[in-house]
Amino acid sequence: MRPDPIPLSRLQRLALTASSFLLLVVATMALGPLIAGSGWWWLCAFVAAGTLFSGAGLRALRTPASLVPVLELVVMLLLLTLVFGGSTSIALLIPTQGTFETFGELLTGAQRTIEQQSVPAIPVPPLLFALALGVGVLAVFTDLFVQTFRMPALAAAPALVPILVPGFIIEAGAETPTLVLTAAAYLLLLRIDVRVRRHARLQAGDEGDDAATIVPPKRVPIVSTLGASLGLAAVGLLAASVLAASTPSVSTSLLLGSPSQGTLFARGVSPFIDLGRDLRRPEPRPAFHYFARDADRPYFTLLTLDRFEGEVWGATDAAVDGDNTVDAMPRPDGLSAEVATSEHPIEVVVDEVRTTWLPVPYPTSRIEGLSGSWFWDEGSLAVRSVDTNTGGQRYEVTRLEVEPTVAQLRDAGRQLPSELEASLEMPDEVPAIIAETAAAVTAGATSPYDAAVAIQAFLRSPDFDYSTEAPVADGYDGGGFDVIAQFLEAKAGYCVHFASTMAVLAREAGIPSRISLGYTPGTPTQERVEGMQRVEVDSHDLHSWPELYFEGIGWVPFEPTPGRGSVPGYSRPGAGDETGPTLPSAAPSTPGSTGRPELDPDRALSGQSADTLASNAWWQRTVPIALLVVLLLLLPAALRLVQRSARRRNIAKGRRPADAAWDEVIATARDLGTGGDATQTPRAVATAIGERAAFREQAPAAALLSLRDAVERERYGPGNGSALHDEALEQLSLVRAALIEGATPVERARAALVPRSLFDAARGVLGERPSGDA
Amino acid sequence: MWRPRSVKVAIWPRLTRRGATLVIVGVLLLALSLWFDLRDILVLAFVGIAMPGVAALFVALRTPRLAVTRRFAPPVIAAGGSTLVALVVKNRSRRTFDGAHWRDGVPSGLASAPEAILPAIGPYESMLPAGDDTVRLEYRLRMPRRGVFQVGPLRVGISDPFGLARIDRDVGNGHEVVVTPRVTPLDAALGSAASVDGVLNGLQRRTHPNSDELIAREYRYGDPMRRVNWAATARRGELMVREEEQRGDPEARIVLDTTLAGRPKSSAYRREGAEDTHFGFELGVEVAASVGMHLLERGFRVRCDRVDDPERSLLSEDSGAGYRMPGGDHLLLEGLARLEQPSSHPSSRDVQHAPAHASGPRGREARMPGFAVLIDPDEHDARTLVALRSTFEPAVAFVTETVAPSVIEALEKSDWRVVRVRRAADIASAWAGSAAPMPSSAPTAVSSTAGAASPDLFTTETG
Repeated sequence: MRPDPIPLSRLQRLALTASSFLLLVVATMALGPLIAGSGWWWLCAFVAAGTLFSGAGLRALRTPASLVPVLELVVMLLLLTLVFGGSTSIALLIPTQGTFETFGELLTGAQRTIEQQSVPAIPVPPLLFALALGVGVLAVFTDLFVQTFRMPALAAAPALVPILVPGFIIEAGAETPTLVLTAAAYLLLLRIDVRVRRHARLQAGDEGDDAATIVPPKRVPIVSTLGASLGLAAVGLLAASVLAASTPSVSTSLLLGSPSQGTLFARGVSPFIDLGRDLRRPEPRPAFHYFARDADRPYFTLLTLDRFEGEVWGATDAAVDGDNTVDAMPRPDGLSAEVATSEHPIEVVVDEVRTTWLPVPYPTSRIEGLSGSWFWDEGSLAVRSVDTNTGGQRYEVTRLEVEPTVAQLRDAGRQLPSELEASLEMPDEVPAIIAETAAAVTAGATSPYDAAVAIQAFLRSPDFDYSTEAPVADGYDGGGFDVIAQFLEAKAGYCVHFASTMAVLAREAGIPSRISLGYTPGTPTQERVEGMQRVEVDSHDLHSWPELYFEGIGWVPFEPTPGRGSVPGYSRPGAGDETGPTLPSAAPSTPGSTGRPELDPDRALSGQSADTLASNAWWQRTVPIALLVVLLLLLPAALRLVQRSARRRNIAKGRRPADAAWDEVIATARDLGTGGDATQTPRAVATAIGERAAFREQAPAAALLSLRDAVERERYGPGNGSALHDEALEQLSLVRAALIEGATPVERARAALVPRSLFDAARGVLGERPSGDA
Repeated sequence: MWRPRSVKVAIWPRLTRRGATLVIVGVLLLALSLWFDLRDILVLAFVGIAMPGVAALFVALRTPRLAVTRRFAPPVIAAGGSTLVALVVKNRSRRTFDGAHWRDGVPSGLASAPEAILPAIGPYESMLPAGDDTVRLEYRLRMPRRGVFQVGPLRVGISDPFGLARIDRDVGNGHEVVVTPRVTPLDAALGSAASVDGVLNGLQRRTHPNSDELIAREYRYGDPMRRVNWAATARRGELMVREEEQRGDPEARIVLDTTLAGRPKSSAYRREGAEDTHFGFELGVEVAASVGMHLLERGFRVRCDRVDDPERSLLSEDSGAGYRMPGGDHLLLEGLARLEQPSSHPSSRDVQHAPAHASGPRGREARMPGFAVLIDPDEHDARTLVALRSTFEPAVAFVTETVAPSVIEALEKSDWRVVRVRRAADIASAWAGSAAPMPSSAPTAVSSTAGAASPDLFTTETG
């Protein structure tokens, strides 16, 4: 489509820019439900304003229209540098190479944070960067549509982008008020465009002798037209709202399934049930090491699973709360002041483990020295990142050591806080053997604690074997209640089975339970730094264990897996008979070497699995990008095909058939790089084309000449021209074939893929068109 | 005069390209939202679908009240000229009228001003008019062809404030503009006062023998000698001359071929392009106009008759008595402008009666100048002209290229002077050729008999 040739004044351009800015900013508000706070919106507005209004300024300075979008992108870059470049930039605005490196890191961080964060996301810098970049690019496109192409109706396309996003991520989608506001802003843009266009045309008048002189009235009130516009918009929006509200929901979401938060939820650590897939990994990989006092050998928790539903057990999907920074973590749930606690510092250095979950002991009172944004989850106190991972982290954990006595545990009340009821939930259909086993094991228990100890003792009894092979061989590897039932019959499995069985049995017995996934304390080395012993943790130390809740003490770990980790002192049978507090971490000095079987199954979370994940991700990323690139490259060819078929249709329908045919001949000649200047007369073009070797033959030459005659008759002759459409089509095919025949294969390929005629037309559209009030 | 005129719907509401695109986008969004169950997008989808519909309803329901007057300056134009059309559009409604385009309706074949913006017009000012409820529009309309054209009504395209839908309404009535045939100024050769004076005075004296008594007046300095009325001079004893010769009522007849009876066989001569315009016919009308104007200026009463029925006036019923100055020139030109080209089937041929002799042959003394303009006559027309020959002196036939040779031959045999005219630029020279004694080698071929007859015309007769 041709651009509107009427030049606009600066004020008119400014009005258009302002309304497109309003549209974009209001549309960005649709992202509100996804992102916490409102600072991000102001940033987006800032970038959009900078980009759009710089475009208006450039046009006021009569910058060539084709340069404006490029310069707008430059302005956007400067703004991004100002906001995100920090110390790497020169004079806060000029980006350096370091700035671009920062931008690259921010972009990868943004990708991660989009994968990892759940709704509402915390506006960490990488996310902000991605938002600002996206809004800037949308602003450039909006400006292109509104000002360069002068088709403001197309500004709907960029505005739809931020509006469509929430619908795919959260169930509710964008909020209705925002949508209505966006529609109103869009209508405002259309209205301003109509007014601006009318005024510009009225001022410019028409060229030529036949142009009319128009003497408008001197003053015209705009109030009444304003009323009409508002009324029309109101009726339209109201009608749309009513229609939308009354449309029944036809859910045919076969393609995507119901959109859920899962798409944003962390994928860094597979839920524990997937561990079985990565069973056979020969060499242990160092996960991390830590420095701690001799007595500090805690379990390191990565994440906690508390929903026992279906095949895949998972953590409760909770949004990351931006206030939960790790420098001050709360006291664990249910821990009363009576229980003895002490704080111990542990310095952790991550080696190869790459997850978004931080290995920390439970409970922890604070973590220092982390890079990136890390937040703790309510309840489980698991620490996760929204924009980075554990790679290269070195941090100091202040561990809160809880030392309950057996008496305290035994006396724990049966009254549970209501928020813990979720930790007692069981699905309706549970295999009978689970309930029977739970009843049999806990028959003699007088308190929840006794029941827990009895369950642990039952699972640690010689009847149960630690085996990584049996579950796979018998086909009950994985998770779910059926697997537990089979495990209870076969009595062979590994930590996953023991932990989940104990957790389920505890719930049957009325004790809230959950499963923690993480690492056993690891293997101490001889190295000591300032009185702290260095302990190595590798992928073979990966483990899972149940945690049970006792009122007044909180979540207490148990160890039902035979031969793994260390059994807490309070959970040994008969521990209550002892006097004094037990040492929960009364571990053997080398727990890993003694307690660990030769073939450790729990190596799933090692660095290598991260590698496979990464390679998967690489594939997932590369294939769509490659497809996109191929599609983009094929776009000109497709456009050219569409153009050709449109012309053929015109010929067939008799809408200036000879003209259309001749245009196609010229375009083909241009594509092939053999002349075909549209400014020449048909006769000159025909002469030029006719000199080619392929036209020495009779048929193509005759077709060319008759096409030429037809177009001359149609253009310069009187009245209705030739009506021989089929003939024109045939002649066109002949001439095209002859043209293509005379070209080299390279020329042909170029003509098909990079049609020059199309680019000429595009250049015409984007061509030098002076802006401003000429 | 300022009365709201009828505002009629010319084209029913339709969506603009923008509106149609919006509907398509809305439908796509609707499909998307239903497919992916994105209920939030539903609102936007329905905005896209409903907004153009509401806009179309809006433009359909909102009837403007406008009054339009149209003036042409000049009101009568010669073909090929142009006239300035001045429109005054007044808003009669209490609301501002905005968002419209205008274009004056002109007949096909005329290039009118392209569609232009109609500026916003303020509400009707019944008191203290400041002119804010009025828009003045002017454009130049070129009239390449003879005829009477209906200009108007004003077509006002109204779109909604967002440019989504549009309706076209016709405001006011159309007005006629008369485009007269081009008139070529002719040499005064034929109409020189002397010759006319002589011929007609002679005529009159013979018809009304006593008229010289009534019209004699005293001699004034400068009166030609030949005007001296000797009889009156003798009676009054002083030099008397005859009064103005207008009293002599000089008359001339133009017989125009309007039926193109020979047309079927010569349709190949129709030029394409200006559709339905017979080139020869237009040329003939131009010749008739030029000759007629020339004669009128020279003081003749001019009758225009049809060749197939010379007793019927060509143009309008009340012009049967002929045109005469003053005012006759306008009437003649307008009449010629209104002259419609004959339909392709010569249906008027059913009145087959012997025409020329019906009124009875006039005497030699009743002869008047006769000019036939022939475009495509058939044998019947030729016979009529031959029969009329006796009443004409001189008798000149202007023939275009399309006249059959047999007709020309018949005319020449009966002593018509045949002058060929090929195009409008030839008219002046053809006229000169008809007046001058013709050598046979001249381009405007004249038969020797006609040439022999011509000197009669220029002889000075004194009474």
